[in-house]
Amino acid sequence: MSTADAHAGPPVAHQSSRVSAPVLGMFLFIGSEIMLFGAFFTVYFFARVVNNAPAWPPEGLELPVLVAGVNTAILVTSSFTMHWALQSVKRGSRAGLQAGLVLTLAMGLTFLLTQMIEYTRVGFAPRDGTFGSTFYGLTGLHGAHVFIGLTLLTFATVRAFRGHFTAEHHHGVEIPGIYWHFVDVMWIVVYASVYLL
Amino acid sequence: MSTTEHHHPEVHAAPRPPATGLRRLLAPGFLRAIWMMALFFGIGLALVLGIRAIAGWHPLWHWPPVLAVAFLTTMPLGFLAGIGAFDYWTHYALGRPTRPEDHSGHGARSWRDYFRVNTDHKVIGVQYLVTTVFFFVAGGLLAMFVRAELARPGTQFFDPQTYNGLFSVHASLMIFLFIIPAFAGLANYVVPLMLGAPDMAFPRLNALSYWLLPIAGIMMLSSFLIPGGAFAAGWTGYAPLSVVGSDGNIFFQMAVQWAGASSIMTALNFLVTIITMRAPGMTFWRMPLLVWANFTTSLLVVIATPFIAASQFFALFDRVLGTDFFRPESGGYVLGYQHIFWFYSHPAVYIMMLPGFGIVSEVISVMSRKPIFGYRLMALSLMAILFLGFSVWAHHMFVSGMAPWLRVPMMITTLLIAVPTGIKVFSWLATIWEGKLNFSTPMLWALGFLSMFVIGGLSGIYLGAVPIDIHTSDTYFVVAHIHYVLFGGSLFTIFAGIYYWFPKMTGRMYDERLGKLHFWLTFVGFNATFFPMHLIGVQGMPRRVVDYAPEFANWNFFISVASFGLGASTIVFLYNMINSWARGPRATGNPWRALTLEWQVSSPPPTFNFDEIPQVVGNPYEYGVPGARHAVLGEERVEELERVR
Ligand code: HEM
Ligand SMILES: [Cu+2]
Repeated sequence: MSTADAHAGPPVAHQSSRVSAPVLGMFLFIGSEIMLFGAFFTVYFFARVVNNAPAWPPEGLELPVLVAGVNTAILVTSSFTMHWALQSVKRGSRAGLQAGLVLTLAMGLTFLLTQMIEYTRVGFAPRDGTFGSTFYGLTGLHGAHVFIGLTLLTFATVRAFRGHFTAEHHHGVEIPGIYWHFVDVMWIVVYASVYLL
Repeated sequence: MSTTEHHHPEVHAAPRPPATGLRRLLAPGFLRAIWMMALFFGIGLALVLGIRAIAGWHPLWHWPPVLAVAFLTTMPLGFLAGIGAFDYWTHYALGRPTRPEDHSGHGARSWRDYFRVNTDHKVIGVQYLVTTVFFFVAGGLLAMFVRAELARPGTQFFDPQTYNGLFSVHASLMIFLFIIPAFAGLANYVVPLMLGAPDMAFPRLNALSYWLLPIAGIMMLSSFLIPGGAFAAGWTGYAPLSVVGSDGNIFFQMAVQWAGASSIMTALNFLVTIITMRAPGMTFWRMPLLVWANFTTSLLVVIATPFIAASQFFALFDRVLGTDFFRPESGGYVLGYQHIFWFYSHPAVYIMMLPGFGIVSEVISVMSRKPIFGYRLMALSLMAILFLGFSVWAHHMFVSGMAPWLRVPMMITTLLIAVPTGIKVFSWLATIWEGKLNFSTPMLWALGFLSMFVIGGLSGIYLGAVPIDIHTSDTYFVVAHIHYVLFGGSLFTIFAGIYYWFPKMTGRMYDERLGKLHFWLTFVGFNATFFPMHLIGVQGMPRRVVDYAPEFANWNFFISVASFGLGASTIVFLYNMINSWARGPRATGNPWRALTLEWQVSSPPPTFNFDEIPQVVGNPYEYGVPGARHAVLGEERVEELERVR
């Protein structure tokens, strides 16, 4: 920056790290989110293991392991389409970016809708003992994260269709993408411990 | 109130033209906030009623969810949207072009600019400090009520339930709305300057994290207004009491979410700023200790705060959704609350102390005109406290009925943590040793901190030993301990920081005589109030009870009288601050002759802190070392760069 226009705004901050600020910020935020899930897993552990729950799930209740498994597959696939969207914008392909984002959004929405339908059919409510509480706690917390992820992806999609993002500048795709991958990985952990274990 | 000095008036984009007529309802501001609060309240209400209708839960109208969602979640969101905290992001989400070079929301030209969403870290720092001092005064008044009630045995002014509400709101305000955010406010002002950065990494996030605070504070205070009274389960809000108690508990549980979200956002911001925006030459081992302290604190916040958020969610869900997380009668694990809560709240005592360690390190080194003793060890001991802090939580639960095998390991880690803390205390002493001491007000507070904190640390070691804790748990001994560490410790460092940076923040000097008077009144009043609590605690006076045995009457009367004196000392502080801010003598850029970067610019600093990013060339504390320099700016910087080349 020349001294003449130095007065038109702040001096450009010195970049003292190789990671860019928004990416680092997102990683730290994810660290915090992992701790939040950690607390929910802790209370799950308390209810099931520490309290020596007699039967888990309690007599007469069953979780739709298969449907949720298919749903898991859908969510995992959406991570790949997200990756494809990011690679496309890096190559400068707008069509790929748009298609990737729309597919990811569609799959995320499918996941969330399936989850809601599952809620209406599992046959127990959050108030039905610790099994119900922790089931809705963990899947609900995760669902809220899917919702946040979808919101961020919607922003990115709107902007992708309105002509933003280039091969050089695509933080707006990369960062929701990182978050989306986190949401997917977290689901695998939730699915494994709530449905399979 | 002073206005910020114009360093380069041409820097600012022209201020937004004031909107007129109906447009004022659409422009960001308190007017828009009013109707948006109503709108968002409606949305929240519709959400609750809609979901209850679909799920078939009866009755349709149920206070707890309406309070939790419409009043305490969506309405505050409406407020934030109204004042314009989300404007930029809405703009972004709608796909409009962004204008990163727009600085119209940055800096303060008049006092009005402090009452809107502002992205300047210096304005935000002042907003934080003024707001937290407000809640400090509010929390202090509640403490005066508590002491008035306890002046004599029996019940005088309040019934037990009201009394429980008083001390609960007192403690919660002090912890969540004063100590934690006051440190965040000081650091907000100082850290970017110390790093040689023009602002924080995410200025808009920074603005948002400030505006969450008044929401949290008003929430806690307004819990007095609802039928059933304020939350009364203490600042720890243990389940099941907080689940079955009055609906005021919802206010606590939600306020903690808002304050916690604010803390996490600020912490992320500090971490990213410290990692990515240091001036050239500012390696980690050249960072001032205040920056180190906020770095470790922020790590603690990011890792630990989600746990308190979760603990409050569970307790809230148990009440509002009827879940069974902490209901023993239906399989819940009631001690789980305490484990999850203390897994945050023990680290939180360091969140409430480490930034103070940073402040004291700055003040003691500058006022002793000596390099800080053992700089690296000071930084490393902060990190040691960070790690150890996560392994001691159950020392708050020795008498809770938790698994007995947990006791001894927790006792050992608890006693271990005194080692890094001790290292710090001895480093400060060695820094003072044979220094050329300047007993200015900030130094008095720093020395006061040093002596009082050691007393608090010693009672901490007693409490960490299982047999002694079993005897003194839930007595006034614990009250004495927390006040020696939080009042004599944290609060004294906040005062040190406020006096130390007052000239930087306001461009004016405070009244030194009044400052010293404030210190001595507080110091004497503090000890007279809290020291006797050790004695009555050991003799068995229980804490958190409105009445007590007549044998404690004399001491309690003495304590109450002393506490009113202590409360009155705050008036001296407030008068000094307001009066000096309005008409104190002008301060120079560097009244303390300090080396760190915030003192190398004008007081108050220009809007963007530096004309050019400074070049850091040495350690920050080389006082009394001939020719030593920390950083070079301006002309000198150019010469230095040429010399290096
Ligand atoms: C050498 C360092 C310390 C040790 C060994 C220590 C130990 C303890 C122990 C064992 C308790 C539990 C007492 C009981 O409930 O029976 C306690 C309570 C407490 N400590 Fe410390 N502590 C230390 C430093 C600190 C610091 C630095 C702070 C804050 C800045 C702090 C704040 C508190 C608070 C707020 C409580 C009361 C919690 C409640 O409301 O129940 N402590 N401490
Ligand atoms: Cu502790």
